[in-house]
Amino acid sequence: MTSLIGQSENIGYSFSEPTSANVKQHSFYPYTDNGGSTLGITGSDFAILAGDTRSTSGYNINSRMVPKVFKIGGDDETGDGAQILLSVVGFAADGNALKEKLDTVVKMYKYQHGKPMSVSACAQRLSTILYEKRFFPYYVHAILAGLDEEGVGALYSYDPVGSYEREQCRAAGAASSLIMPFLDNQVNFKNQYVPGSGEGHALEPVKAEPLPKETVKALVRDAFTSAVERHIEVGDGLQLMIITREGIEEIYHPLKKD
Amino acid sequence: MDKLVAQYSRPPHQNEMYSEQEQQDLTASVPPLSLKFSLPPVDNHSAFLRAMTDDHSNPSCPIKLAHGTTTLAFRFQGGIIVCTDSRATAGNWIASQTVKKVIPVSRLSRGEDKKSDKPTPGLLGTMAGGAADCQYWLRYLSQQCTLHEIRHKRRITVAAASKILANLTYAYKGYGLSMGTMLAGMTPQEGPALYYIDSDGTRLPGNLFCVGSGQTFAYGVLDAEYKYDLTEEEALNLGRRAILAAMHRDAYSGGFINLYHVKEEGWVHHGFDDMNPIFWKTKLEKGEFSNVTSAL
Amino acid sequence: MAIFCQACRFLITVEEKSEVWRSQETRVAEIKTSTFFWQKKKAPKRWLTQRVAGRKLQASSSPRGAPHLITTSLRPDHLTCSILLFSINFPTNRKHVLLGIAGKDFVILAASKAAMRGPTVLKAEDDKTRQLNKHTVMAFSGESGDTIQFAEYIQANAALYSMRNDTELSPSAVANFVRGELARSLRSRSPYTVNLLLGGIDPVSEKPHLYWVDYLASLAPLPYAAHGYAQYYCLSILDKHHNPDISLEEGLKLLGLCTDELKRRLPIDYKGVLVKVITKDGVQEIPFDNDKIVRSA
Repeated sequence: MTSLIGQSENIGYSFSEPTSANVKQHSFYPYTDNGGSTLGITGSDFAILAGDTRSTSGYNINSRMVPKVFKIGGDDETGDGAQILLSVVGFAADGNALKEKLDTVVKMYKYQHGKPMSVSACAQRLSTILYEKRFFPYYVHAILAGLDEEGVGALYSYDPVGSYEREQCRAAGAASSLIMPFLDNQVNFKNQYVPGSGEGHALEPVKAEPLPKETVKALVRDAFTSAVERHIEVGDGLQLMIITREGIEEIYHPLKKD
Repeated sequence: MDKLVAQYSRPPHQNEMYSEQEQQDLTASVPPLSLKFSLPPVDNHSAFLRAMTDDHSNPSCPIKLAHGTTTLAFRFQGGIIVCTDSRATAGNWIASQTVKKVIPVSRLSRGEDKKSDKPTPGLLGTMAGGAADCQYWLRYLSQQCTLHEIRHKRRITVAAASKILANLTYAYKGYGLSMGTMLAGMTPQEGPALYYIDSDGTRLPGNLFCVGSGQTFAYGVLDAEYKYDLTEEEALNLGRRAILAAMHRDAYSGGFINLYHVKEEGWVHHGFDDMNPIFWKTKLEKGEFSNVTSAL
Repeated sequence: MAIFCQACRFLITVEEKSEVWRSQETRVAEIKTSTFFWQKKKAPKRWLTQRVAGRKLQASSSPRGAPHLITTSLRPDHLTCSILLFSINFPTNRKHVLLGIAGKDFVILAASKAAMRGPTVLKAEDDKTRQLNKHTVMAFSGESGDTIQFAEYIQANAALYSMRNDTELSPSAVANFVRGELARSLRSRSPYTVNLLLGGIDPVSEKPHLYWVDYLASLAPLPYAAHGYAQYYCLSILDKHHNPDISLEEGLKLLGLCTDELKRRLPIDYKGVLVKVITKDGVQEIPFDNDKIVRSA
């Protein structure tokens, strides 16, 4: 609902008591939405996972620096040596629990098998972890990124109960509906046609090709600066993780703080 | 008194670590398709799940699951055609346009990653309803089928595989699973065999099934021209055209047409094609869809 | 959007849910009400219906009861967050089959012959069509009582117009008149809940016309149309097999495809269809083989 007038006290400020007392609600409600958005794009030899760093509850901003992108299976708490990235958006507590669990699993795999877990294996395992809570779901949208056996960027996106799919790009969270159409057009070249290739339906669609890293980085920044302009739950900072053969590079880029 | 104290006190942080069982689960090298699911601490967990995830009865539910589909499969003299759309929706949001709703079953190392013109042995399962439910349980079925193959040195029949799945969905009846799936395969014992299994526990063998929100539209096209003696070419085209009809009329279906043919030697993939050029080709070359006009 | 119901002095906001056409019959609207009013006045349950085209919202005290007058206001600030959900029980009967096909120089209208009430078939030879003038026929389904009342009201008024002005109304004129009457009734105390198909030949141009009208007074000219569950099965068939230049024989064959499919898949015995054909020579009831046995695949 578009609100044109300034807020009166009847509007549900996050610090005021909820006024929905009259509505029958389920008494057990273990979820909240901490807002924010994440985004992942792959290329021929890299994968980028990004997320804003704002944490909200309702209209209240809890913190301006809560990362949503994590290194999975690193050697120590800094995450060095990790070869997989995970982003979680939705309910931060569930997200954290999920991250810890996957991290443990990937580490145990390495200790037991003497080799790092492949991204495809990790992707399948994450799916079963999510599905184990099918009847009491994690309220998260997860995205997993890494490099596959051929060294090509791999990105897997999940729904809250573990259905997953490998994709070229995916946006999740509060501003996903703002970002995803932009990615469809700019990464997969949806609705782009080769100029002069024909008339009407004979127009030839532009073929999607893996994008170079610098282009993708620029796209990610554009996506987030735009989302910040139109979504209240997105802002403060952009955390970018780029995984290549050389390792993981982490970039922080400030976003608007309003 | 000590007894009373013991009853109401406990060592601090007792529940903050992983339990022994959980530690074992975490460290186990094989991911458990465990059949151990955590349940919410409420009396009626299916009502809880519905309140949290069912956007049909509660559009403002917090957790939106992927839904909505058209899938079809039919038997004919040359085997079985399996065809689906590729759209996943969460409420009105199109979550994905590239879902693979045909899932190869019966080999854990599934043929989906390598491209090959040769038929891949095994069964095919289709996915309608909850995406995660179908993916997980068809994978569980793959595991069971592979075990069967190892134990008995022959491929599982479609009847047996479908029974495993139906028993499972029946065991979980009332928990809130949502799946409508078809299993298609050809074995020396059965010939071409097609089964419909859903989350109510229904299991039906048959010649022709359409499942999902667009099922009626697919049935319309399919029934009008279906006969068992179709040639392979006719059958492939009919399957594709029926999915196109459903994509056109059902807003929850769309994206790409995913077409498979199950033969004696295994299944063959016949493309994952964008519906838009196919629609316009059908309209302009055959004069169908006469209700679509560009005039105002 | 906030709406104020003058009749019950309730201010309610309604967030429109976008919808797809297949949910035309089960509309979902999210209502946000001021908890103050809600709690103090112990409001009865309000039912909402939503109009697709005009985006007007209409509140009434029961699904079939009197709707109140509504004016829209732009003051959402009164409102807090209690949320109630209603899905509207569509009052018209979707078990009835209405089909229409327009071809080169004709229009076919087919209506199921069962008159149903609850679990009973009251009559198996019911005629759910009315001829409005020499070259226009209307087929209807919906709330029993409303259907015939509305159809005969239209029939009488079309005749009255012809007598007064000594001229026949064209199909498009009739269709727009019908739409207007439905729209007017929708805003009255007891609206007609009737779904219609209107077929006719324009006496001047001799071109066939088919109109689809629903109980919310949406009007659409179409080459083929259906109402009720028949929509779900027949529209895809017609999408594939219809083209605007078909002859009457081909049209009837096409109708056969549709009724065969309904016999195959609908779990209801609708007692066959009554078929009326409109050509430039007038309206004719065509004998149609309803006893054909259809085998399922």
